[in-house]
Amino acid sequence: MTPRAVLRSSWFAPLLALLACYALFSGLAPDTFPGATNLWTMARQTVVVAIAAVGMTYVILLGGIDLSVGSGVAITTVVVAASLRQGIGPAGAMALGVLLPALVGAATGGLVARLRITPFIVTLGTMSLLRGAAKGLADEQKIDADPHGLDTLMSAPLPGEFRLPPGVAIAVLVATLAAIALRYSVFGRHVTAIGSNEQTARLCGVPVSRVKIAVYALSGLLAGLAGIMEYATLTVGDPTDSIGLELEVIAAVVIGGGSLSGGQGSIVGALIGALLMTVIKTGCTHIGLPNWVQEILTGAIIVVAVALDRVRKR
Amino acid sequence: MIQIGPVRRRLLAFGLALGISLVPGCGKKTQSESGAAGSAPARLRIAVIPKGTTHEFWKSVHAGAAKAARELDVDIVWKGPLKEDDLKSQIELVQSFTAQKASGIVLAPLNDKALVSSVDAAVAAQIPVVIFDSALAGGKVSSFVATDNRAAGRLAGERLVKLLDGKGKVAVLRYQEGSASTRDREEGFLEVVKKAPEIEVVSDNQYGGATTETAASASESLLLAKNAAKGGLHGVFTPNESTTFGMLRALENTKLDGKLRFVGFDASDKLVEAVRKGSIDGLVLQNPFNMGYLAVKAITAKLKNQPVEARTDTGAELLDKQNIDEPAMKELVKPDLAKWLK
Amino acid sequence: MSAARLYARGITKAFSGTRALDDVGLEVRPGTIHAVLGENGAGKSTLMQILAGALRPDSGELMLDGVAYAPRDPAAARRAGVAIVYQELSVCPDLTVAENVLLGVEPRRFGFVDRGRRDARARRALEKLGRESRLPLDAPVRELSSAERQLVEIARALSHEQPKLLILDEPTSSLGSDDTQQLFTALAALKETGLSIVYISHFLEEVRRIADDYSVLRDGKSVASGEMAQSTNDELLLAMAGRGLETGQRRERRAGEVLLSLENLAGEKLPKAASLELRRGEVVGLSGLVGSGRTELVRAVFGLDPVRRGAVRVRAHVGPRSPVERWAEGVGMLSEDRKGEGLALSFPISHNTTLTALSRLRRRGLVSLAQERRESERLIQRLRVRCRDADQPVSELSGGNQQKVALMRLLFHDADVLLLDEPTRGIDVRSRAEIHSLIDELSARGKAVLVVSSYLPELLSLCDRIAVMHRGRLGDFRPSAEWTEHTLLREAAGA
Repeated sequence: MTPRAVLRSSWFAPLLALLACYALFSGLAPDTFPGATNLWTMARQTVVVAIAAVGMTYVILLGGIDLSVGSGVAITTVVVAASLRQGIGPAGAMALGVLLPALVGAATGGLVARLRITPFIVTLGTMSLLRGAAKGLADEQKIDADPHGLDTLMSAPLPGEFRLPPGVAIAVLVATLAAIALRYSVFGRHVTAIGSNEQTARLCGVPVSRVKIAVYALSGLLAGLAGIMEYATLTVGDPTDSIGLELEVIAAVVIGGGSLSGGQGSIVGALIGALLMTVIKTGCTHIGLPNWVQEILTGAIIVVAVALDRVRKR
Repeated sequence: MIQIGPVRRRLLAFGLALGISLVPGCGKKTQSESGAAGSAPARLRIAVIPKGTTHEFWKSVHAGAAKAARELDVDIVWKGPLKEDDLKSQIELVQSFTAQKASGIVLAPLNDKALVSSVDAAVAAQIPVVIFDSALAGGKVSSFVATDNRAAGRLAGERLVKLLDGKGKVAVLRYQEGSASTRDREEGFLEVVKKAPEIEVVSDNQYGGATTETAASASESLLLAKNAAKGGLHGVFTPNESTTFGMLRALENTKLDGKLRFVGFDASDKLVEAVRKGSIDGLVLQNPFNMGYLAVKAITAKLKNQPVEARTDTGAELLDKQNIDEPAMKELVKPDLAKWLK
Repeated sequence: MSAARLYARGITKAFSGTRALDDVGLEVRPGTIHAVLGENGAGKSTLMQILAGALRPDSGELMLDGVAYAPRDPAAARRAGVAIVYQELSVCPDLTVAENVLLGVEPRRFGFVDRGRRDARARRALEKLGRESRLPLDAPVRELSSAERQLVEIARALSHEQPKLLILDEPTSSLGSDDTQQLFTALAALKETGLSIVYISHFLEEVRRIADDYSVLRDGKSVASGEMAQSTNDELLLAMAGRGLETGQRRERRAGEVLLSLENLAGEKLPKAASLELRRGEVVGLSGLVGSGRTELVRAVFGLDPVRRGAVRVRAHVGPRSPVERWAEGVGMLSEDRKGEGLALSFPISHNTTLTALSRLRRRGLVSLAQERRESERLIQRLRVRCRDADQPVSELSGGNQQKVALMRLLFHDADVLLLDEPTRGIDVRSRAEIHSLIDELSARGKAVLVVSSYLPELLSLCDRIAVMHRGRLGDFRPSAEWTEHTLLREAAGA
């Protein structure tokens, strides 16, 4: 990318915000915040939101929204834990865990595309549906199961040991593939075309329904993958986990330059948005700010980031 | 007078929030003072992680911890999950404090298993951990400071049996699965009432959930389902503040307050007022202030290589109409938080 | 002779070098209905926008009741007593009649809407429209007929200030004949109150029924005016079409085999019946009024609108009808709604160009952005699109250049059959000429082109054969040489 393209890109302002926040907290907590341990901790803590935000970027580019992500993550932790307890191996448990949200995503896409129901409504429904299913499946309790090594996906390396947490590597890989697909594949082009102007896409013979179904299925699939990472963190299946996670994920995409009216957004931007929120969260812990201050700061940064972006585009 | 403390604190924190976003230099100074390890012997910096930050109970714990910090001359960092009872964010807090090399961590785990690996990672990084309030299943922890919840539950059971003269139908509204402390209370309670021959337990599988709202609606459903208005239920027990308050609201809404014998758990202004009015017959009180105090004491002892008890009981008392005005109970109900949380 | 209610002289207005109005004059007498006639693009709406304060003239003079009138904005025009009702209805269907009539100017008391005064004012405004237009004040507008909604719209325009002049832009374009009658009764009642009305319409018969005077605009100039009673339809049509009477195209074209044929095609509502054959190497024109079903015909052929009966054959083959199929068969379409459908405005030029034929750019499964840019740049040069580069978003281009980008798509796709719906509407003269020569060149290279246009000189000079659509039915195709603007207009109006 040329320097000018970087300057013009929608994620340039959020990148500046990320660097500024990082510099600020490094200045306020110089002994602990900038250290390698903390960087890796922050990377691990961003994995779940980042993976889900990759799927959400596609959905938002399409001009849609997916509110079921938090519930999708929760039901995946439950399914994985329950499968492990049934004696299904880790690979099988992960496959099962990803399957359910992906299928629900495909069904969501079908309703949105064929019956023209607004995605807000459909996913509001699936959000509650998946949450209820998770609670029912887990018998309204947290499910314990021997993680069979799945916890190492997200566990911290031992002191002195250097090891890239597999969860971080997977998140980077997923994001890279998704970014390439968005920019260089026919499918990616079709997604942005629909979000940019659905009428034009239809006129130009873009298979609008098929693309929508695929995108919502992808969002569900990635929510499932995020759920596997969540399980690796929790080591229990928790049906009440990740309530409100979808809002964090949407915020990440929007901070990164995504527009809820579709057609605008990038994977890089979404990752930056997710990292920015982790930096704020961790930074506030490091300098000992109470939670309510942290919430005010996060909210202010979301609004300021988006407002700056709009002003810049004028 | 009492109100001024928290308000001023809030303003201070707000100012700090503005300050750090405007004047980076200003916050940095105070931080490096407390974190300076070079000249003086390193000052101990202890992270205290409750299950939440908005319940009265945790404020008392905070005050007790603050008292210990002042007496022992250590720093505490009080930080709960951003969302009340959010397991993931509690795990992340433990990881964060591990990454920033806190001297020690004092933790009230939201789940007895899910926090084990994070706690072990902290211990592996030479950061000792003291668990309080609820137990952890495993983990290399230095000490466990909590109410003996089973005993506290038995205390509630005995009182309810006595109130009912040994006969009638009783129910327990459980809190949430995975919370060891409340489960022990529920089991202690059931252990006693099941021994009474003429007491029948008509419901012990309903959960109030995380918030007062969910507890209130679960209570209303329970009262309806068991036909409490027509004598289908004579006594209820609830194992923590939110379920107790939820049950109280439900009883008031259905005009059953005072008609059912009701033993609850934990105290808040409203609950104590309900005891005075007779809507609640008894409240089992833990000693959260003492819990915070003893937990910080235990971790400090560990950090100074002094002997530490593996298990400390912080005790439980039963508050009722008779003893409500006794000074000892008053101190338990309403410790002078402002004194410690300035 | 009484003084004019509205007097305009020497009104001139240019848009980026093109003169939309050139020394136009208009005189409207008090208490009369004055029809403004003209073809599409003659400058009628520009003139109306100037009268209503939405545009300011470059030069010229306006007087209202003998006082100089130069409104800075629509609000100022309203205060001066000039109200306008645009073609598109803008009532809120879920609000009541009274709420709609006084929308935005509700009488208030203590910060709340004063319902009593509001209803009284709404009733007074509606009463001016005559006895027949008594509408229930508290009925939601959703429940009203089209004509009644139109009346609500007019009442709203009249409720604001003491109205002197009302401008109606094609008020009957969405009305049936009963509705039209109801509207005309109301307009007659309004005229009795002393209000002057400027009435813009295509429909000569209608205009004849209600207008007292007329003015005709052609190519931005005043060409005729007078009293309605002293003119014939033929005179008016002649004035609108001009005496130039361009006929037929010059270059001889050789038509090849049939690429597209329609047999009695009917859509859900429109078209009602349409048959045509489109051959390789020829340009065929569709004329007719806006709303006659021309656009619906093209959309039905392309699979964008449902078809009730009839057949569409592409190279004698009947397949499933969908845009995907059509592009695959080599049929391309240019939408009349450039911004709403034709182009993805936030997309760069290159992406808009290649959207239908991305597979041609695929190398090892991925789209080659370099090749995409290269081919787009080539087409940009060929069509002389004025832009920064192929990465520039289409939204930043002028209308004419946007239209060229829409055509770039058809060229990139290398479509054999081109369905062009209003290919030059609303664009500058130079781009129009460039697009015309492009169409000529494409037909010479063996493409089959169908042009839908409201601009008659365009059809006459470009097409080999033309047919006129009237109320959903497509008439017979006749060689362009046999048509004149006059005859096209007459057939379109059903006269």
